[in-house]
Amino acid sequence: MKNLIERLKKQFKISEVVFQRDNEIFLTVEKMDAVSMITQLRDLEGFTHLVLLTAVDWLEEGYFQLTYLLNNYEKKTDLGVRVKIDRDKAEMTSIHHLWKTAATYQRELKEMFGIDFPGSPRVDESFILEGWDNIPPYRRDFDTKKYSEETYFPRPGRKTHDPAEYMKKKLYPED
Amino acid sequence: MSFKDVLKPFTAWKNLAIEPVSIKKPLERQAAPRYRGFHKNNLEKCIGCGTCEEICQNAAIDMVPLDGIETKEGDSGLRPMIDYGRCCWCALCVDVCTTNSLTMSNHFTWVDTNADNFRFIPGAENKPWDNEELGYKKPENYELNNPYRVEMVEIEPEQRDKSFLEIVKGFSKEQAIKEADRCIECGLCIATCPAHMGIPAYIAAVRNDDMEEGLRVLYETNPLPEICGRVCTHKCESVCAMQHKGDALSIRWLKRYIADQVPAEKYKEILETENIKKNDKKIAIIGAGPAGLSAAYYLALLGYNVKIFEALSGPGGMTRYGIPEYRLPYDQIDKDVDYIKSLGVEFQFNTRIGKDITLDKLHEDFDAVFAGTGLHLGRSTRIDGSNHEKCYQAVDLLRDVADGKSINVEKKIVVIGGGNVAMDIARTLARLQNQKYGKVQLIITSLESEDIMPADLEEIVESREEKIIIEPAWGPKKIKIEDGKIKGLHVIKCLSVFDEEGRFNPKFDENKKEFFEADMVVEAIGQGMDLSYFSEEMQSRLEMTDRHKVKVDNNCQSSIPWLFVGGDIVAGPDVISAIADGHRAARGIDNFLSQK
Repeated sequence: MKNLIERLKKQFKISEVVFQRDNEIFLTVEKMDAVSMITQLRDLEGFTHLVLLTAVDWLEEGYFQLTYLLNNYEKKTDLGVRVKIDRDKAEMTSIHHLWKTAATYQRELKEMFGIDFPGSPRVDESFILEGWDNIPPYRRDFDTKKYSEETYFPRPGRKTHDPAEYMKKKLYPED
Repeated sequence: MSFKDVLKPFTAWKNLAIEPVSIKKPLERQAAPRYRGFHKNNLEKCIGCGTCEEICQNAAIDMVPLDGIETKEGDSGLRPMIDYGRCCWCALCVDVCTTNSLTMSNHFTWVDTNADNFRFIPGAENKPWDNEELGYKKPENYELNNPYRVEMVEIEPEQRDKSFLEIVKGFSKEQAIKEADRCIECGLCIATCPAHMGIPAYIAAVRNDDMEEGLRVLYETNPLPEICGRVCTHKCESVCAMQHKGDALSIRWLKRYIADQVPAEKYKEILETENIKKNDKKIAIIGAGPAGLSAAYYLALLGYNVKIFEALSGPGGMTRYGIPEYRLPYDQIDKDVDYIKSLGVEFQFNTRIGKDITLDKLHEDFDAVFAGTGLHLGRSTRIDGSNHEKCYQAVDLLRDVADGKSINVEKKIVVIGGGNVAMDIARTLARLQNQKYGKVQLIITSLESEDIMPADLEEIVESREEKIIIEPAWGPKKIKIEDGKIKGLHVIKCLSVFDEEGRFNPKFDENKKEFFEADMVVEAIGQGMDLSYFSEEMQSRLEMTDRHKVKVDNNCQSSIPWLFVGGDIVAGPDVISAIADGHRAARGIDNFLSQK
C-alpha cells in the first residue's frame, strides 16, 4: 500500500494521508486531479469496486469533503479518496462513466447536500425527498429541529418544563 | 433431450430436507447487541438537566416531574419523557447525556393499539427491557463536548511565595471561549447560587464574545463581579452537570473574564446608569462590605440617596481586610466599588456606629438602615497561654496587613485552624517569613482530618507548594511558655470532630501527643459578630435565630421594621450570600418605604 501511495504522489497532488488500518488508507487529492486518479486506480491499480460515495459538510471551513471509497477485490484493500470542494460552488465532475452505480450516489448527494454533478443521469430528479421545498437537509445550516417543529405537530397533551424555571418555582419561588 | 435433462427438475427435491434460512417468528428475533431500541434511563443517576431534550432534533423529548423524584440542588427533579411517534432512534440523546444515565435497549418490537402508550418516561414504567444489558450505550472515549476544563495558568510557587502578586492569571480570550463552549446551558447551577445569577446567560455571552451583554447579565444580580470572579465560594460549580462527565465549568473564572475585559469607564454606558432619577429618601448602610455595597448599588439604581458608614479606612469589608492581596488585588475591589460610588453612593470611612455615631441617630436622620457588619471578632481556643501577646487572631493580623501595618513576624509559627482563613493567614505569614528570613517555618494544625478540612482543596495544595506544613487531626492543648516567651504548641490527637448527630463535639486521644515548636501562634478557628452598636433596648427587641444569627424575613427585614440586616451576621460567612442579601434588602427597603 505504501508503494501505491508513493506512485500516486508522483503524479497527483496528494495530502493528508491517513493509514487507518493495514488494509485501509485515506488520502486527500486536489479536485482537478481526482477523476483522473480514480480512473487510474480502477484501470491500473485493481480498485475495481466503488464501495460508496459520500460527503461531509465542513460548514465553518467552507467546504464539502467528498469521500470515494474504493476496494481492491484481489488484494482485499480499501482506499478512501477525499476531495474538498468549495461549499459556495458545490460542483464536482461526475464518475458515472466509470461505475454506473455512481449516478445513484451522485443523485443522492445532489438532493441531500446540494452538490451538483453535471451530466450525471437523472441527477436533478428527486431521490427520496419528493416535494422537498427547503435547503438540502444534510447541509449543516439546515435547522432539523426547527423544520421538525414546523412540519410535524406535537401530540396533544405534551408539556415540557425548563429545568432552571422549574427549580425556581420549587426551590425559591419568592425571589 | 437427454435423460439428465429429464431428471434435473427433481434435484430440487433435495432442498426439502434443509432447514430454511428465513425465520419462523421474526418478532422474537434478537436485534444486534448495539442496536438502538427503546430507551432505558437510570432515574437515580439522571439529574434532569434536559440536555437530551435540547439536542433532540425531532422534539421528541419533554422534561416532566415524576413522583418520588425530588427537586433539589443539582437535580431539577424532572425526567425525560419520550414520544416514540417522533423519535428517530439517532441516539444523540444518549451520546450527550451528562450522567450517562440514558442508554438504549436493543428492543425494537412492541405492538399496542393505543398510540398514547408510545409516550412514556424510560425507567419509570417497568418496561421488559429496563434491566437488560444489551443495546446502545455511549461508546467509551467519545464525547460530543469536552469533559475537561481549560486549565487556569497560575504563577509558579517559586515566583509567588515572596510576594503578594495575584496568583491566578485569568483566561485569555481563546481560553475563555473554549471553556464557555463546554456549558450545556441546563441552568441547574442557578438555584444553587445564593444570588441566583444568570450563569448560563453570561457564559453564553463569553462564547459569543459579547462582553457588554455579559456585564449586563452579571450586574442584574451581582454588583461585585471583579471580587466574586476571584474569591466567590462558587457553590454553582459543585452542582454543574458537566462534573458528571469530567470537570465542572470554571464558572468563577468566566465571570472574572467578563469583568476583566470591560474598562471601568464604559460601565455606565453599558449598564445604562448615566441618568438615574433620584428620589428624596435617604438610606444609611452600616459596613462597606459585600452586603452593604450590594444593597447600596441596588438602592442607588432605584433612586435612593445612600450613605455607607464604615469603621475601617477602606471599602470591601472582609474581601479587603480578610482576603490576602495575592487572591484578590485591592485595585480590583476598587474597580467594583468605584463604579458604585459613581452612582452617587456616599462613603464615610473611619466611622464606627455605636461609638462615633449612635444607631438611634441614624434612625433619626435616615428613612431606613441596613446593617451588614460582618464577622470581625476572632474566636479564641481559650487554651492555656492563648492570652500571650504573641498569640494572635488571624482576622486581626489580616486586617493589619491590608492596612499596610508592619507585622512582627517570627521565625517559627503555628496556625491553628483548618478553614480558608487559616490558609489565608498562613500563606500571608509565609510570604512575610520569606521576605524577612528567606525561608518558611510554618505549621497549620487543624482539628479536622485532611478529608474533612473545610478549606478549599486548592488552598491546601497551594499552601504546601509554598512550603507550609499541614498537620491535620490535632487538638490544641496548651501553649508552652518559658521565660515569658512562646516555645510551641502542645497538641493531642483528635479522633473525630462531629458526633453522630453531626454536632461539633470533638473526641481526643490524650495519650497521643505532639509538640510543634513555635515562637508565635495564630488562632483561625472562626469569627463572631460584634453587635455592641445596638443599644440594650434594641438588642431586647432584636430577634435572633437558634443558631445565634440575626433573624430576618426573606427581604432581610429584622424584627425592628426600619432596620434591615444582611451578610455574615445573618448567614454565611460567604461573599455571594452577602451580595444576595444586599439585593434582597434593597428590594425590602423599597417595599417598606413605598408602603409608608
